[in-house]
Amino acid sequence: MSDSSSPPPPTNNADSETTVSNDSESNTKCQTAIQSLATIVTTTDIPSTISNLLNDEAVSTAISSLLQRPDSGAGDNNLCRWLYDTFQSAEPSLQLLVLRFVPLIAGLYLSRVPLRQPQAGFEAVLLALYAHETTSRAGQAITVNIPDLSHPSIYHESKGLTRNNNSTCLNIAVLSSTLDPHGTVRSTRRARIVGVALELYYSKIPKMPRESKLNFCESCEKWAGQNGETEQPSRAVIPTLSDDSWREEEDVAIGGRSERDSGRIPLPWELLQPIMRILGHCLFGLKVEDRELSEAASKACQSLYLRSLHDINPKAILATGSLLRLREMALDPKNQIDHTEVSNDTLLTV
Amino acid sequence: MLGNQSGEFSENGDDEIIRQLCANGICMKTTEVEAKLDEGNIQEAESSLREGLSLNFEEARALLGRLEYQRGNLEGALRVFEGIDLQAAIQRLQVSVPPEKPATKKNRPREPQQLVSQHAANLVLEAIYLKAKSLQKLGRITEAAHECRSVLDSVEKIFQQGIPDAQVDNKLQETVSHAVELLPALWKESGDYQEAIAAYRRALLSQWNLDNDCCARIQKDFAVFLLHSGVEASPPSLGSQIEGSYIPRNNLEEAILLLMILLKKFNLGKAKWDPSVFEHLTFALSLCSQTSVLAKQLEEVMPGVFSRIERWNTLALSYSAAGQNSAAVNLLRKSLHKHEQPDDLVALLLAAKLCSEEPSLAAEGSGYAQRAINNAQGMDEHLKGVGLRMLGLCLGKQAKVPTSDFERSRLQSESLKALDGAIAFEHNNPDLIFELGVQYAEQRNLKAASRYAKEFIDATGGSVLKGWRFLALVLSAQQRFSEAEVVTDAALDETAKWDQGPLLRLKAKLKISQSNPTEAVETYRYLLALVQAQRKSFGPLRTLSQMEEDKVNEFEVWHGLAYLYSSLSHWNDVEVCLKKAGELKQYSASMLHTEGRMWEGRKEFKAALAAFLDGLLLDGSSVPCKVAVGALLSERGKDHQPTLPVARSLLSDALRIDPTNRKAWYYLGMVHKSDGRIADATDCFQAASMLEESDPIESFSTIL
Repeated sequence: MSDSSSPPPPTNNADSETTVSNDSESNTKCQTAIQSLATIVTTTDIPSTISNLLNDEAVSTAISSLLQRPDSGAGDNNLCRWLYDTFQSAEPSLQLLVLRFVPLIAGLYLSRVPLRQPQAGFEAVLLALYAHETTSRAGQAITVNIPDLSHPSIYHESKGLTRNNNSTCLNIAVLSSTLDPHGTVRSTRRARIVGVALELYYSKIPKMPRESKLNFCESCEKWAGQNGETEQPSRAVIPTLSDDSWREEEDVAIGGRSERDSGRIPLPWELLQPIMRILGHCLFGLKVEDRELSEAASKACQSLYLRSLHDINPKAILATGSLLRLREMALDPKNQIDHTEVSNDTLLTV
Repeated sequence: MLGNQSGEFSENGDDEIIRQLCANGICMKTTEVEAKLDEGNIQEAESSLREGLSLNFEEARALLGRLEYQRGNLEGALRVFEGIDLQAAIQRLQVSVPPEKPATKKNRPREPQQLVSQHAANLVLEAIYLKAKSLQKLGRITEAAHECRSVLDSVEKIFQQGIPDAQVDNKLQETVSHAVELLPALWKESGDYQEAIAAYRRALLSQWNLDNDCCARIQKDFAVFLLHSGVEASPPSLGSQIEGSYIPRNNLEEAILLLMILLKKFNLGKAKWDPSVFEHLTFALSLCSQTSVLAKQLEEVMPGVFSRIERWNTLALSYSAAGQNSAAVNLLRKSLHKHEQPDDLVALLLAAKLCSEEPSLAAEGSGYAQRAINNAQGMDEHLKGVGLRMLGLCLGKQAKVPTSDFERSRLQSESLKALDGAIAFEHNNPDLIFELGVQYAEQRNLKAASRYAKEFIDATGGSVLKGWRFLALVLSAQQRFSEAEVVTDAALDETAKWDQGPLLRLKAKLKISQSNPTEAVETYRYLLALVQAQRKSFGPLRTLSQMEEDKVNEFEVWHGLAYLYSSLSHWNDVEVCLKKAGELKQYSASMLHTEGRMWEGRKEFKAALAAFLDGLLLDGSSVPCKVAVGALLSERGKDHQPTLPVARSLLSDALRIDPTNRKAWYYLGMVHKSDGRIADATDCFQAASMLEESDPIESFSTIL
């Protein structure tokens, strides 16, 4: 399959990606997807190639506004059906296109759960992502061996006693636990399913357009709920986001209930952890700093930090707090010295 | 080579920057040359340099290029550099240098000649490097990266055998270090991530003789890249690995390794402390839930880097996130001491939360919570609700510590008041709604409890298991068993099979309460099948932490089944089940209680008494065992008056711990009756019968 843009991943080839198929077949799939999208999005022209489609702002905006309609998550929703079919096509470039909307879908879905709306459409899309990740990982957990410096490594030598080199004193941490197949969204597994969808999103995040990441930051703020941010002075210097409406709500919020607060959701670690990774990327993982995005991400971090204070969740306090402090350090001009600059002597010698 | 002269000239740069060009012992001001350059006349500028400073063509060009670069005239600098055939120069160097090399091992006489060639090399390399920098600043990143890489390639070609440490020319080293540091940054900026990873590894794994700070910066940058870029780096090549050494398998492992190495360098004083390294490590380790490792790293940081309060508080957060609560509480006690920072809100709230989980610390926790409430002002007023919530939880827990009845009801009502106060601040915090519900339930206000239970399920969309269990328990306390079963079934529908253990046990108990023992046994049979499946599906590769998280606890299943058979008087089955349970957990007061029931059922009262007493010895506060001994003594001892006071004191003691235990009330009534205190007996029986109407099938405190 035309694995044009992804870096050569030696390990995590999904079953679907290894199936051999020629370019023409994938081209057909793309054309079919584009044509059926054209019947759903009628307000703007659809570009004729998939690579253009991913970064096409007009189409993204059109799809986003369709997704934000109150009944968008229903089982018979055309757009959800399209997203589901498109992802199931197993065509990597088409899957990226679906992943691009994960922040918005997850944001709307989780915040709408207490409203008891039918959301079978959103659930189908999220379950497809979950199933994809489950098969590509064969349900296995992702673990991390926490290094122990008393053993030498490629980056350091150790003078310590290396009595038994393959000793078991390595700490094994579970980054993402084992995945059981799910055919439906059981409510107690909801956070996990969305969390895994976010993990999948994170694994493709370098290819995601910035609007998608901005959507994600907004979702985070909604999820965190109202935890007294209005008093934060840092709010003043934030440039406008594409959606400005929450700003007014916030002013109302001082009195108590606000509309934004209605998006507040329980944030168990299985959800919070992928959220933190994505925010970390938005803050420190871009190839060139994007001011608007890092402002949005740091605002999201701020909200989640306050939320974790309200939940008194020490792990979340540590993670969000460290991101916020890092952000502060990065903004400090003291830390913006370019060490690769040559000395600017007035005396030039050969 | 002219470094010793620089001091004399540096004083010239007072107001305006007046640059000087020096070579071969001659100096000239740059104004004239600059003027020529501004006219675009590179060749004239060059020739005036060659004449004025007696330089060759390449030297003059390199100097001019640097001058243009420093003046910020990047396009000009590029034009100048393009005039030099850098590749040819490098090839010349390659030809000239290697023949001398083989003999160089400590071969002093050859040193001067080598210095000259190093100087020539630097001239060329610096020119290429400045070209790369100019391209970078002009936004031509990929070109810049190629130029920068050619600096490193050239260094490797020219000095194939490396340069002995002592003989490295400072300027050459500076250029090399700069290029090593710049290259990965350029690839990263150009979006060519695989090249960036290769460049980082090349920088860190080859010998570039970098100084500690430079190496530390590259290590940190690479770690940040690995942590946040979202690009999965393939593991480092086998060539760079020493046998038996730790090999990172993925980004996170490599990043954590690098950050730990950096911290160690700081601790040994080998590099300058960089606070961001610790923050990155905090982030990485909390992502993998390894905050106990973080605590260890923090403990190794040299004193004086963090203030002690900062250190204590961060340590407390790390330990409590790792579940080591008592260590965390001890640290917080230090940092909240009146001579330290007694008003720190986060520390106060964390301390209150940790104390609220432990009855013996609850009183201390109330104090922290109260202080948090008092200090939640101004900017932090939003945390007042959290303080109130913690106060409510601590008071509720305090009420569990045996005190007088009066004290207990005072604490309970204050707890409710605090939680109610909190809800004014956090009207839609589901956790708070849940806690309020449990508090009501424990005070047997079942109507309010069921309202909050339903509200909690709505607010969380049914995503939290304990919400379902709580509602079922409240319904069972209201003796609405069939509804409780409906709720349990609904909950089972919303749960994946590994999480169903507690629900299935609940369901079995509900079946018994509805006098439907066969179905209860059936439920347990299913549970046992689940246990088997769980054991198979996870296999031997499970880590310890996963074992602890086992949802279907095999011991609980066997013990539950034993208990079920005991209520059916199937004593032989009880014995089998108890044996199975005993294999999994040898000492358990609740198991001994069931065993006692078995002996009691078989009319072997001595053995029964022994089992109950063993249970009490294991857990002095085991209410069921206390009640059972009390009951046994009061029934069997009717004819032996002396045992009655013992029974009475045991039962009173049980009631002090759990005032809602209806059996204790009942047997206490029996004791009073046997002793002839009819009025007291009536009161007790009344209490027992009232409680029977509101007794949940499992204690409410099992949910929190």
